[in-house]
Amino acid sequence: MKPVEIVLVYQSLLGIYGDRGNAMVLRQRLAWRGIDATLTVVDPGDDVPSTGSVYLLGGGEDAAQISAVKALKADGHLFRAIDAGAVLFAVCAGYQIVGETFTVGENDEVIEGLGLLDVTTRRGPERAVGEVLSAWTRPDGTESLVTGFENHGGFTYLGVNAEPLARVEIGVGNCGDGTDGAVQGNVLGIYPHGPILARNPELADHLLERALGHELDPLPNPEQDELRRQRIAAVRRTGLRR
Amino acid sequence: MPSTLSTPAEPASLTRAERLRLWTAIRVGDVAALASRLAGRGSGASIRGQVLTRLDPNAFADLLQGHRVLAVSGTNGKTTTTHLLAAAVRSGLGADARRLVTNADGANLHYGIASALSQQPRSDIAVLETDERVVSDMIAHARPELLVLLNFSRDQLDRHHEIKALGRSWRAALAAAGAVGPTIVANACDPLVVWSAGTAAKVVWVETDTTWSADGALCPACGTVLRRVPIDERARWDCPGCELTQPEASYRVDGERIVLPNGRMVHPDLQVPGSFNVSNAACALAAAVEFGVPVPEALAGMHTVTAPAGRFATTHFGRTRARLLLAKNPAGWAEALPLATSDPVILAIDSVAADGKDVSWLWDVEYEQLAGRRVVCTGPRAQDLAVRLSYAGVEHEVEPDLRAALGERDMPVDVIATYTPFQRLLKMAGLR
Repeated sequence: MKPVEIVLVYQSLLGIYGDRGNAMVLRQRLAWRGIDATLTVVDPGDDVPSTGSVYLLGGGEDAAQISAVKALKADGHLFRAIDAGAVLFAVCAGYQIVGETFTVGENDEVIEGLGLLDVTTRRGPERAVGEVLSAWTRPDGTESLVTGFENHGGFTYLGVNAEPLARVEIGVGNCGDGTDGAVQGNVLGIYPHGPILARNPELADHLLERALGHELDPLPNPEQDELRRQRIAAVRRTGLRR
Repeated sequence: MPSTLSTPAEPASLTRAERLRLWTAIRVGDVAALASRLAGRGSGASIRGQVLTRLDPNAFADLLQGHRVLAVSGTNGKTTTTHLLAAAVRSGLGADARRLVTNADGANLHYGIASALSQQPRSDIAVLETDERVVSDMIAHARPELLVLLNFSRDQLDRHHEIKALGRSWRAALAAAGAVGPTIVANACDPLVVWSAGTAAKVVWVETDTTWSADGALCPACGTVLRRVPIDERARWDCPGCELTQPEASYRVDGERIVLPNGRMVHPDLQVPGSFNVSNAACALAAAVEFGVPVPEALAGMHTVTAPAGRFATTHFGRTRARLLLAKNPAGWAEALPLATSDPVILAIDSVAADGKDVSWLWDVEYEQLAGRRVVCTGPRAQDLAVRLSYAGVEHEVEPDLRAALGERDMPVDVIATYTPFQRLLKMAGLR
């Protein structure tokens, strides 16, 4: 069987918050289950492979967002891979560029995004920075908590074709409307950046199951459970005055 | 006439009222510092500075008057480079070494600088570690003769948000200072530093041994993806989209050695470890020479620096002999990790404001290089590190309590800590 390919897209542009952690987590969770997996790191200027199962986009600054959109449109492979059933998971600035439009710079210049998610992003009233806690609904209808750290100046509004990914308990999320992230087909985006999948293994496995088309065996990990317990307790203790 | 090492600073011009207010604020600050020391809360330098600048909001600017200022800034290496530069200038001053004041403790915000200056009223040369956020005020108020800019990388993004914003403020301050602005000594290998110094009247470029390039992917001026062009077996960066390119350097780091503008090679013979400290020394040397210190005196001075503000210090905790390394961000960890060779190695992580509240950066550090050795994870965010290490395949244990993690060991250990646990270690060891 061909190894499962995880593709980390433009880490040098969109990877400012340790976002490559998400790719490392996905690859390792497959490896721990004995599933052959490879990690492809794509630099700007290189071709994006069309053979990936999961594609990842991370956080970055304004200029990096513009460069990434331009390069991904010129390359085209990411769009074809998603049409063919691959999963795209984008966080923070990566989440913004996946949408219809977003703004950059002092003068809020409107930039056209990749158009893969029906969301638009505009400068928010104040920057959202801090630990965030939300809940997302698993395919079986049960809820799972998402713990992470958000740091974004843009507020994101969902259009009719996108569904919110999570319901916010503490933090700002999309735009302070009680939701965070969006999902549309196999494209998922959310604000907590960096290694969000390291803190939320169920979300990580959900992405993998979606890409592979079958369920994965559970992977007990007391160390990870303890980290979740600590972070959830910490944000509930201090969240209101973060 | 150009100034030389022996040129005295222009005396401060303060009114009687200003002098009285400053004098009073210093005396009250001294009392607060004494009280803090008696209460066993450390040196009191921080509280002195805070009281002083609260009572006299102009203290920072007023105390800087009457000094010839050499400032050092950048994301990493500020404290060590400040110590190296201060030692080089002191060595050049010889019998007049007491003319020099420096904030050796690493307190590099307005109040830390004010506190240091207030303790040496007779000084007229100031070598000042300066936080990146204070640089533009320093340029405006102190009219420094020299400003050393070491590097720029991701650090405490929960507070700074955008790395480039600081560079923009430096450019504005240097442009405003114009011809009377400082001579910059700057790292030619860091695109963001080069762009930030772009408005300066005079720059002495230093080609360093920079390894961290993750924050230099895009041209800071035009946003084009930078290319790395190999010239003489060394990679130089260049922007295909605009004029910005790696400048030709006057000083160059070549392994353990520094190549001077005249082509001569010198060995800095440092007592602080790591190739990044050779780069720091090259910048300090260039600044000292610009200030009028002859190369041999500068090198002799730098050789005396051993553990700047506790960095690289070896000390005892009970029976355990430990070497203390500070790492505050991914670039700093990339430098510190190869120096930590003990087994086990102790890594201490915290996330209060001074460390950065967001520990996402743990995933930007190549902890994979520790595979085969054992790590003791400690500090309030030990669990985050533990999960990171499990994904990296590095054997580890978790002991959140710092003292317990140090244990009673027969073999020496290396400890790498973020800012807050590092300060705690210094205090526990009686080094501050």
